[in-house]
Amino acid sequence: MAKEELKIGEISKPRFEFRTFGRDFDEAAYLMSRLSTPVPRKVWERTSEEIYIVSKTNDINNTKIRDGKMDIKTFVQEVDGLEQWNPLMKAEFPISANVLKDEVYPAFKVEVPTFDKDTYTFEEFMEMVKSNPDLQAVKVEKQRFGYMVNNTICEVANVFINGASIVTVNSESTELDDIKKTITDLELEGVENINYLQAIKRIIGWIDKPLAN
Amino acid sequence: MAEKNYIPKYEFRIFGQEFPVLEKLINEKAKLVGNQTMNDVYLLTAADNENNVKIRDGKMDMKVLEETLEGLERWAPYMIGDFPLEMEVVKSTVFPALGIPSPAFSRTEYLLNQFLNELVYNDPDLFVAHTSKSRNEFAFNECELEITDVTINSACIKTICIESEDYEKVLETKEILGISDSEENVNYPTALKRVMGLVEIPGMWQKIK
Repeated sequence: MAKEELKIGEISKPRFEFRTFGRDFDEAAYLMSRLSTPVPRKVWERTSEEIYIVSKTNDINNTKIRDGKMDIKTFVQEVDGLEQWNPLMKAEFPISANVLKDEVYPAFKVEVPTFDKDTYTFEEFMEMVKSNPDLQAVKVEKQRFGYMVNNTICEVANVFINGASIVTVNSESTELDDIKKTITDLELEGVENINYLQAIKRIIGWIDKPLAN
Repeated sequence: MAEKNYIPKYEFRIFGQEFPVLEKLINEKAKLVGNQTMNDVYLLTAADNENNVKIRDGKMDMKVLEETLEGLERWAPYMIGDFPLEMEVVKSTVFPALGIPSPAFSRTEYLLNQFLNELVYNDPDLFVAHTSKSRNEFAFNECELEITDVTINSACIKTICIESEDYEKVLETKEILGISDSEENVNYPTALKRVMGLVEIPGMWQKIK
């Protein structure tokens, strides 16, 4: 079967991903910039502000809110150390109580609260998060620089977790071999694959483990 | 158990990603007198804001907020204890300072790893910040200044501090360095708690500039 040609910013089959976090990936970022094929101007540099909702009882659903929309991805499988995540749901605030009850809270894997309204605004939802000791809202700002290496979508990004900075590099594709070649080409072999949930939990002290460097 | 002959100083501290103008000014005007690297383990809870509890060089090191004056804070050491720490000290001093109930104790004294593994990591109300600091120390206008790169559980932030026994000198130095009165004085426990999401984060805390 012919390989799918990936295009940055466009929907594809669920992708596998290698991502890591640390303080310094200057060498990998340099190699990424030199090995990259030209990418659309719109992905050269992007900034965003997001709120991740992390749950003490969940490591398989990634919930974030960006531009007033909730976006949940779920972990599908790990193959050869690479992770595959699928979109689970997207919803815009105000969100109905039924969606919160049937989709959002089950994704957090915490007890579903009682809902006394039909819909919830972003502010009301954040109050609910604040009142649950197993949930935490984390402010995440990203400054992302996009590349394309070995037909995998790559980025190097400065990420600010509640105001403290870290760096992430990643390579994602539907093709495992293309990601593995990219890991080798970026001299990232042996570096731990760390997803966003794990990185955030380590920084906020929920997991007592350092990042990759 | 507190440091002998230590006179608590008034302190003004800020945190951020970068302070190019302020750093340039300090490097131009102040005299570099030293640099230090240190690794500290801070113990934090959502409950307390008046105690600074950390482990440095294998010792329990606790400070208490003694006074606030003109927006400055004066922290005084009140316990520096070697491990093993007696259970009674942990019960009567450490946990009350953290603002949470003491757990059940199974030992009469605790080595550092026993203290961390049995009392800290198991407590759902206690959070640990592993910090690494690289601090440049300066002298200026009868004040001690520092510019420090800090990593908090691997994430990076910078802090600049002015301190002196004389609060008026701190205020004067702030003015000379062009630090506005609206700039928030943020102590270490507060900054760590913000990064770790243990307290409400003000809207403009460390946004990308």
